[in-house]
Amino acid sequence: MIGRMLMIVALMFIVAVPTMAQGDYDRNSPEFRENTSQFMCLCGCGQDHFECNMEGCGLNEQFKTEILEMMNDDGYDKSEIKEHYVAMYGEVILTAPEKSGFSLTAWVTPFILLGGAGGGIIYLIRKWVRKSKQLMKPELPNGLEDETESDILHSLIDEERKKHF
Amino acid sequence: MHIIGNVSIYLAFFLSIYAFVAFVLGIKKQDQRLIDSGKGATMGIFILASISMTLMFYLLGTSQLQFQYVYQYSSTDLPIIYKLAALWAGNAGSLLLWTFFLAMYSAMVAFSKKMKRNPMTPYIVSILMLNVIFFYLILSFVTQPFTLMDGVPPEGRGLNPMLQDPGMIFHPVTLYLGYVGLAVPFAFAIASLIVKNMDAFWIQMTRRWTIIAWAFLTLGNVIGGYWAYMELGWGGYWAWDPVENASFMPWLTVTAYLHSVMIQERKNMLKIWNLSLIILSYSLTLFGTFLVRSGVLTSVHAFGETNLGAYFLVFMAFMVLLSMYVLMSRYHLIKQDTGQFESFVSKESSFLVNNLIILGATFAVFWGTVFPLVSEAVTGNKVTVGVPFFNTVMSPILLALLFIMAICPLIAWQRSSLKNIRDNFLIPAIISLVIAGIVVAMGIRDAYPVISFSIISFMVLTHLVEFIRGTKARRKVTKEAYPVALVRLMIRSRRRYGGYIVHLGIALIAFGIVGSNFDIERMETLRIGESMDIDRYTLTYEALDQRSDGVNDVVYANILVEKDGKNLGYIQPERMFYLNWEEPSTEVAVRSTLREDLYVVLSAWEEDQRATFQVKINPLVKWIWVGSYVLIIGAIFAIWGGRYGQVSPRYAGPERKVH
Repeated sequence: MIGRMLMIVALMFIVAVPTMAQGDYDRNSPEFRENTSQFMCLCGCGQDHFECNMEGCGLNEQFKTEILEMMNDDGYDKSEIKEHYVAMYGEVILTAPEKSGFSLTAWVTPFILLGGAGGGIIYLIRKWVRKSKQLMKPELPNGLEDETESDILHSLIDEERKKHF
Repeated sequence: MHIIGNVSIYLAFFLSIYAFVAFVLGIKKQDQRLIDSGKGATMGIFILASISMTLMFYLLGTSQLQFQYVYQYSSTDLPIIYKLAALWAGNAGSLLLWTFFLAMYSAMVAFSKKMKRNPMTPYIVSILMLNVIFFYLILSFVTQPFTLMDGVPPEGRGLNPMLQDPGMIFHPVTLYLGYVGLAVPFAFAIASLIVKNMDAFWIQMTRRWTIIAWAFLTLGNVIGGYWAYMELGWGGYWAWDPVENASFMPWLTVTAYLHSVMIQERKNMLKIWNLSLIILSYSLTLFGTFLVRSGVLTSVHAFGETNLGAYFLVFMAFMVLLSMYVLMSRYHLIKQDTGQFESFVSKESSFLVNNLIILGATFAVFWGTVFPLVSEAVTGNKVTVGVPFFNTVMSPILLALLFIMAICPLIAWQRSSLKNIRDNFLIPAIISLVIAGIVVAMGIRDAYPVISFSIISFMVLTHLVEFIRGTKARRKVTKEAYPVALVRLMIRSRRRYGGYIVHLGIALIAFGIVGSNFDIERMETLRIGESMDIDRYTLTYEALDQRSDGVNDVVYANILVEKDGKNLGYIQPERMFYLNWEEPSTEVAVRSTLREDLYVVLSAWEEDQRATFQVKINPLVKWIWVGSYVLIIGAIFAIWGGRYGQVSPRYAGPERKVH
């Protein structure tokens, strides 16, 4: 009996959540913004469907209406809406490439390259520092204040020089 | 008049070939008369380019619709300023403007007082002439600006309303001045390789050129962003459009170059690196032009699909190969760096890391821009690379750059001691952590904004510390009053403190960018007299009306704005309908403060006067424009002529009979 009651409550909960969600969204809902902004408007405006306000864009209004219907009437979530449009238009409809397959290379390549180049720079600096130490130049106190003071000293000398010549 | 126009183009084309040949022969035969003749031809080209420009302005200003270009981009009802600005609305006109700037810069270099009797001059001007030849080739045979129509049409097609904005008067001009300006340091760099004079002479001679080009590139990008913000009505200022990226990439590489040259000047290192950076920057300006003119990528900036892109691609390939060949042929002479690095923790190292991050950012932008082509070529799968990609990839890279900018000024050359680091960074670091705590206490929980705000604070504080330390140090020696010591300190080291002002400008821009991500947006349809609330604002829609603006009609809404119950007055978002253009344009109503922008767009209206408004609250956006002013002030301060530190560099390369 208790088990049956628990099952009914659980079922009510499962059914209730989407029912509560359905019909609640409008164009000012953050969820609506999240859902529409994942799709690129293909009218040539260069913006996503949430932002597109191009005069004469034949796609945007229909897209927004459809997405709102999917959210309110069909209870679709973000990934379901995404799947729907990707199946229809292909990956090109998304504002950013997927993080899988070949498209993953779009995301990781800059960081792999940065990492590699970073390693190269560390190697290079280490090589130069080692070479410098081998030459055993006498150590000079080169604190920041010395640098600033040396700049100031030079400018004062320059000032004096210009007064006399 | 079309004869004068065409003759000025063809003659300049032949004169540019003549000038190039005269310089090459003059150098080969060591004949000064040929070099002087080449210089004369260079001045001749500039005069002809000025005639072409003046004529085109005259044709546009007086609406000579028998000319195809005037017909296509102008109409009789346009205000005079936009009639003239139509010069850079189309392919032929904008390339004419580019060529004019190139001819002007070439003449300036050829007759520069500082370059008088310098054997590098003929080499530099001949490299610039290669560019001039290419542009005149395009203007003569591919896209001619002075083509006549078969008849005289009663009216022109008009100028795209989106281009009828003050931003569009300055955006292309400043961007072109930046793009073309980079040809000068490039020409100096290649010339220094050819004459085997790879010391810091070319860098010192082109310092002002490079900073001016960089400042114009910055201005071009910022004005473009401001125009997009005010005119396009989507509330953003940067969309990572391929063409925006194309102008951002050379800006990044020149920024890297402006830092790394300091290592060459101080330590005689990184010669190949600096040469490569300037070649890369120049090539990226051509790449950007290729993107705009080819239509190979979808962009709101494109001039439409033409075959011009192919010409630019071929020219870019030619110039890159030529540069690579010259660089490789001199490689054995420059591969030996003479300086040394004494420590990992030094200004030299921080400049290298700065270069690494900037170049990483450039690659990320490049990769994102071309990835749709790469993906289609490799997998046949079309993809879009838009804002979310660039925001995700660029945010950590640019944050790392801000962090390096924060620590770089306070690290000493050669070696920083632990005491040096502790003394300089402890207080700014503690205050930045306190600021991070305040940001969290204000309810911001996302990691990125908290980290960003604390890094920006850290950067501002370390720079202030540097100003304070310098002032104190000078005062210790001179006993001047604090304000006097500060002003004299800055004037005596213009380059250094100008650079710091630029850094502060970038901090303010970053502050605005991070803040603007907290935007709030609502869209409401209201009846007359109804109100809507957004954040602390109440907007009451009072009237929808119409007025005339010349031959155009304007529909506008009158909205009363209140904030926390306090009356702030009225704003009027508009829609403008043009006599000679099908699509209306959006005129956004913006109430801008340092805290936030109230941004209202009139989206639509019904017969019963119900109107739909898109309302946004964009926090801190004004700081982006304020930061840009600061940045430009810093750049001007750094290059402004003065008695101190502006000594002309001395040429120490091989002597020639010709100059």
